[in-house]
Amino acid sequence: MSGSLKLVNLIESHAEPIARQWARDVKKNPRTPSYHHLPEETLVPMAMRFYDHFKQMFFTDRPADVSRQYFARYAEEHHGRNIPLDEALYALIMMRRHIWLYAEFQTIFISAVEQKHAVDSLVRTILMFDYAILFISRRYQELIRQRIEEKLGVVNVLRMESPQGAKLGPYRGPIMAAFLLGALALTYYYHAVLGTNVIFTHLLYIPVVLAAIWWKKRGVLVAAALGGFLLLSHLVYLRGMPFTDDVIRAAMFLVIGGVVAFLSEGVARAEEMCRALPMAGGEHQAGLY
Amino acid sequence: MVASMKLIDLVENHAERIAAQWSMLVVKNPFTPFYHGRQPERLVPQAVRFYRNFRKLFMEPKPVEASDGYFTSYAEKRYREGVPLQEAVYALILMRRQIWLYAEFQAVFSTAVERQQAIESVTRTMLMFDYAVYFITKRYGELMKLEWFEAPNT
Repeated sequence: MSGSLKLVNLIESHAEPIARQWARDVKKNPRTPSYHHLPEETLVPMAMRFYDHFKQMFFTDRPADVSRQYFARYAEEHHGRNIPLDEALYALIMMRRHIWLYAEFQTIFISAVEQKHAVDSLVRTILMFDYAILFISRRYQELIRQRIEEKLGVVNVLRMESPQGAKLGPYRGPIMAAFLLGALALTYYYHAVLGTNVIFTHLLYIPVVLAAIWWKKRGVLVAAALGGFLLLSHLVYLRGMPFTDDVIRAAMFLVIGGVVAFLSEGVARAEEMCRALPMAGGEHQAGLY
Repeated sequence: MVASMKLIDLVENHAERIAAQWSMLVVKNPFTPFYHGRQPERLVPQAVRFYRNFRKLFMEPKPVEASDGYFTSYAEKRYREGVPLQEAVYALILMRRQIWLYAEFQAVFSTAVERQQAIESVTRTMLMFDYAVYFITKRYGELMKLEWFEAPNT
C-alpha cells in the first residue's frame, strides 16, 4: 500500500494540471459530446474534486463505503447538467487515464520496485473504479426515476393514480357515471326538446377522454356507448335531419378515445418501467473479493 | 502484446472453469441481487461466451470496433433478461476479476518478467473494460429510450 503513496502524492500535488489536461481532452473526445460546450472553468473543478478525493478513496479499508457518497454526488452533478450516463462514466474513465498519462510523463515508476508499486496502484485504482461505475450507474437510475416521477406528477393527478392522484382513484366510477348521465340528459334535451344536434356534442369528449385515460383500451367502450346513444337518439328524435354529421361525431369519439387510450397505455408502461428500475441494493461491505 | 498471450491462453483453456467460479460468485454477490436465486449452471454460458471472445477482444488491433459489437450485444441480451444496468456491468466486472483470481491461483505471473507482463495484461484488460462500460451503458440508455417512447406492445 505504501508503495502507492508516490502516485497519490503526485495526484495531490498536481491535481490542477492533471485536471486541466483532462478538461481539454474531454472537450474534444468524440465519446463525450455533452462536455464539448462546457467551459474549462466548469470542467476543471469537476476533475479537481475527484483528484482531491482520490487519496481518501484510495487508502481506505472500506473503499465501497467511502466512495459511495462521492460517486453519488458525482452522478448528481453530471445528471444535473443533463449529461448521459455513458458520457459521465467515460469522462470519469478519462480522469483515471489522465492520472496514468501524467504519472508516465513524470516517469515515477522506473525501477523494478517501482514497477511493483505501479501494479499495486493499478489494482487499487481499478477497485475504486469498479465501485465508481456501480455507484454512479445506480444513482443515475434513481435520478432518472425521480425525474420521470416529477414529470408524471400532473399527469397522475389527471389519471387519478399514485402518488399524487391516488386518493381520487376510487371516485373514478361515480365521476364517470355522473358524466354519462349528464351526457345522456344533454343529448335527450338537445335532440328531443330543442330538435337540434349542434355544439353540445363537444362536451361529450370530456367523458370520452377521461375514460380512455383511466381505463385505457377498455375506456373506449364509453366512447362507443356515447356514440351509439347519439346515433340512436338521432334516429328517434331527429328523423328529418341528415344522419351523416352524427355518424362522423360518433366515429370521432372512437378515434379520440382510441388515441388517448393508446397514449395512456404508453404513459402507464413508461411509469411501470420507471418503477421497475432497481433502487439501491443492500448494504455492502468492502473487501468482499 | 505477446507478453499477454499467457493470460489469453489461460482464459481460453479454462473458460468453463473460470465461468463456473464466476457463476457461484455472482449468485451471492450483494451488488448483483438480480442474479440471486438463479441456478449457477444457467449463468455459466454467458460467462463462457465472454471468455471465449476474450482473445478476439484483447488482440484486436481496433479494440473500439470489436468491443462495440460484442458489448452492445451483451447489453441487449442482459436488457432483454431484465438485468438492471449496474448489475449487468458489475457482473462483467466480476468476470474480469475472476480471470485475475484464477491467474493468481495458477501463479501465471510469478517471475519479475512475468510481473511486467502482468502490468501489460492489466492495462490491456482495463482498456477493453473502459470500452465495455461505455458501450453497455450507451446501449442500455438507447434501449430504455426506445422502450419508453415507442408505442406500447409493439
